[in-house]
Amino acid sequence: MTSASNWASPPTRPPLIETLVSGVDRYNPSNVSILEDYLYHQIRSEEYDCLANLAILKLYQFNPDLYNPDVVINILIKALTSAPFPDFNLCVSLLDDRPAPPANQDEPDPLPALLPTLTALHNLLQQCRFPAFWALYRSDEVEGLRDNYTVECVGFEGAVRQVAVRAVKAAFTSIGSERLGTYLDLSGADLSAYVEKLGWTTNESGVVSIPPNPDNQIESTVVQENIQLPQLTKVITHAAQTSLPIVPAVN
Amino acid sequence: MAQHRKALWEADLDEDLQDVDLNLAIGSYGQNGLYEDGASLRGQLGDTLVELPEGAAQPRIDEATLLAVQQQMAQQAAFAQIPDVVKRFIAHFHQAVLENNLAEITVAYESGWNRLTEKFYAKTEWPEAEVIAPLVNDDPIFLILYRELYYRHVYSRLSPDIDDRFHSYENSCELFNYLLNSDGPVPLELPEQWLWDIIDEFIYQFQSFCVWRSKVKSKTEEELGMLADANQVWSSYSVLNVLYSLIQKSKINEHLVALQEGKSAEEIAEIVGEYGTRPLYKLLGYFSLIGLLRVHSLLGDFTLALKVMENVELNQKSPFTRVTACHVTTYYYVGFCYIMLRRYPDAIRAFVSILNFILRMRQYHTRSYQYDQINKTADRMYALFAICNALSPTRVDDNISNIVKERYGEQFAKMSRGEEGIPAFEELFLYACPKFISANPPPYDDPEVLSTYINDPPVEPAQRHLSLFLSEVRAQAPVPTLRSFLKLYTSLDANKLAGFLDADEEEMVQQLMVMKQASRSVSRVENEKGLLDGQMISTSDLDFVINENMVHIAESTVGRRYAGWFIRNTEHAQRVLDTLRVAPLPVPQRPAPQPVEAAKEGATAAPRQGGQKVAWGSVKAA
Repeated sequence: MTSASNWASPPTRPPLIETLVSGVDRYNPSNVSILEDYLYHQIRSEEYDCLANLAILKLYQFNPDLYNPDVVINILIKALTSAPFPDFNLCVSLLDDRPAPPANQDEPDPLPALLPTLTALHNLLQQCRFPAFWALYRSDEVEGLRDNYTVECVGFEGAVRQVAVRAVKAAFTSIGSERLGTYLDLSGADLSAYVEKLGWTTNESGVVSIPPNPDNQIESTVVQENIQLPQLTKVITHAAQTSLPIVPAVN
Repeated sequence: MAQHRKALWEADLDEDLQDVDLNLAIGSYGQNGLYEDGASLRGQLGDTLVELPEGAAQPRIDEATLLAVQQQMAQQAAFAQIPDVVKRFIAHFHQAVLENNLAEITVAYESGWNRLTEKFYAKTEWPEAEVIAPLVNDDPIFLILYRELYYRHVYSRLSPDIDDRFHSYENSCELFNYLLNSDGPVPLELPEQWLWDIIDEFIYQFQSFCVWRSKVKSKTEEELGMLADANQVWSSYSVLNVLYSLIQKSKINEHLVALQEGKSAEEIAEIVGEYGTRPLYKLLGYFSLIGLLRVHSLLGDFTLALKVMENVELNQKSPFTRVTACHVTTYYYVGFCYIMLRRYPDAIRAFVSILNFILRMRQYHTRSYQYDQINKTADRMYALFAICNALSPTRVDDNISNIVKERYGEQFAKMSRGEEGIPAFEELFLYACPKFISANPPPYDDPEVLSTYINDPPVEPAQRHLSLFLSEVRAQAPVPTLRSFLKLYTSLDANKLAGFLDADEEEMVQQLMVMKQASRSVSRVENEKGLLDGQMISTSDLDFVINENMVHIAESTVGRRYAGWFIRNTEHAQRVLDTLRVAPLPVPQRPAPQPVEAAKEGATAAPRQGGQKVAWGSVKAA
């Protein structure tokens, strides 16, 4: 992601959603279902549109009656894998603390229980602690999140791997395949296939080379000032205008 | 698509114009029980909230006659109390407003009102609008404007009670109804500064109400009752409605786009229509954009805050308005939003730009009543600047970083040390962040839920945003230490580095990846359109790459810059020479005036020399 415009308006965003996201209709509670449908479309088709999802949270913020915890959790799952960008926190920021729900609800709100887990997962990704992320994600503690939510989110694990790939690509020119495997939670043939798909190459001693990119090419530079003529025009003009010899007329 | 949207909106407008008041722009989605709420609200406040176009602002007296008589007597007594000079001022002020005499209005607004406040009303309210009504022939429009000032004075000098808060909301509604729902644009003209203050104060009172409302424990029975009945007063929807309505009426976005496209004045006039061509609507529209930036920031929606500013160019060279407070507010919130979007270079640029502007403007503003406010905001921006610079160390403007060192040197040193600096981040963030609010009131309408709410109150908004911000800070806490080690080497074995840090190699490699991420940021480098746009840049002078187990380090250095300094001093020398040349030659025949002349020369030359010395000194130090 080198340009933020893809983030602010992804090319996959349909015109109707663009109208909602950029216009005043985003405040109309009756549009919430359109945006929610769009979220589920993102979940199914590996697309991501942060601003549209924030628009849902905005409607929930202003209209607590609309609040749907499943939608919020799915939004947070999508935002999780955009690390190191701050999408996850931008979403959490809109979750106002809401008053305690009526006690006689049939189903308890799953969000309060899951939010700490999601936050922990997010922190691990932010800190590039990928092996720890996978350990937590595969643990029994997170079973509920896996079975009820991330399983529905097509390509979720792939998206997490992309987070790791972005971090590795920027910091390494070559990396031991074992280490890479722990970041991607892959080993053996799966890892080889994944590395090959990325276009990276593995040598016989198991070291993966990462092709040059703007972030893993380093260079010591000395930036020297380069003075342009236009900077000096004012000084020179002034000097030219006033440099006629002024010999006081001596009477 | 855009046209489609416009057409939809205009259809909404026509419908809403018939009855509902401020629901022009974004509909009346306040609450589900809108109609009951609305009705009870109107009952609460009297009937003035809506029917402004026909009924104008009739004082809400529809009680028994006896009560009316009593009230009249009380008002007459109050009227007698008003000092003559105040009466004359009000009459004069009214006349200036009637004549749309901007110069006179400005004098009354900026100096007369403040002078009389100091003299007579430093600790009490101004006379109520009903009391002074006879002085202005019951002019409803002037009385609305008068109340605008009256309540602003209450908020700034005294402590507003619940009635003040409700009535100031009501008065704001009347004012905006008059501006938005009259037949065509209203023939009113007000000074730029006042228009800014109207929007600024409207949002301030909203924010102040939200904070006051969130404190449940200190409410009296009566207040609890009123709050339970009136959940539309100062609701987020109503405030956004006002701002969006002004933006749409004035077609300010279309106006800004047309300006950027270089359209001629005639073309723009055609585009913006009868409202947008009037300075009053044009400026209110522009100020409402800034108002939206602020409201969305207060509500924690930093992305939307920057998105609504899509068409505003951040640039003081061709300012849309000359109101200093407006610039300061704009940059403060834009900079803050960039921090929350983890775009520290953009935040730094915003702060440097406005802080330099404030330094330059200082000489013109020392006497302004807003100077204090601007100074306070500037100080908070220095604190935010320190935060950004600790998180993304970059060579920046020396002027500003020297002031930061003076004011926040201690905190800055702590923040540059990673984990142990967290309390310093916390301190500066809480001091400098906007006064965050919750979008929704505590459940005043349900006593049972309210009591659980009191026992288990939610986290305060500022604390919530603080903890999110600190999670970003914590993620990159190892960076400063790593950086200090890497600076010493050109290449280094990862294992050895881990040994220095007393850390496990794998852990250290992960921290290096964090460091890499922290040295990259999205930023607007090529003046991209829209504040959300930007591209990935490298923000650090120290870069590294890991080749299996070896860390290679490269440092970029920026040579000292001389050109600017030499050009400035050459120009300065030229000016001195010019001054000398035009000075009259000494006349030897008359010895008497000569010393005087010489003294004058000396006097003007001395400070210049002084200035030069200071410049030398700072360059050497830098």
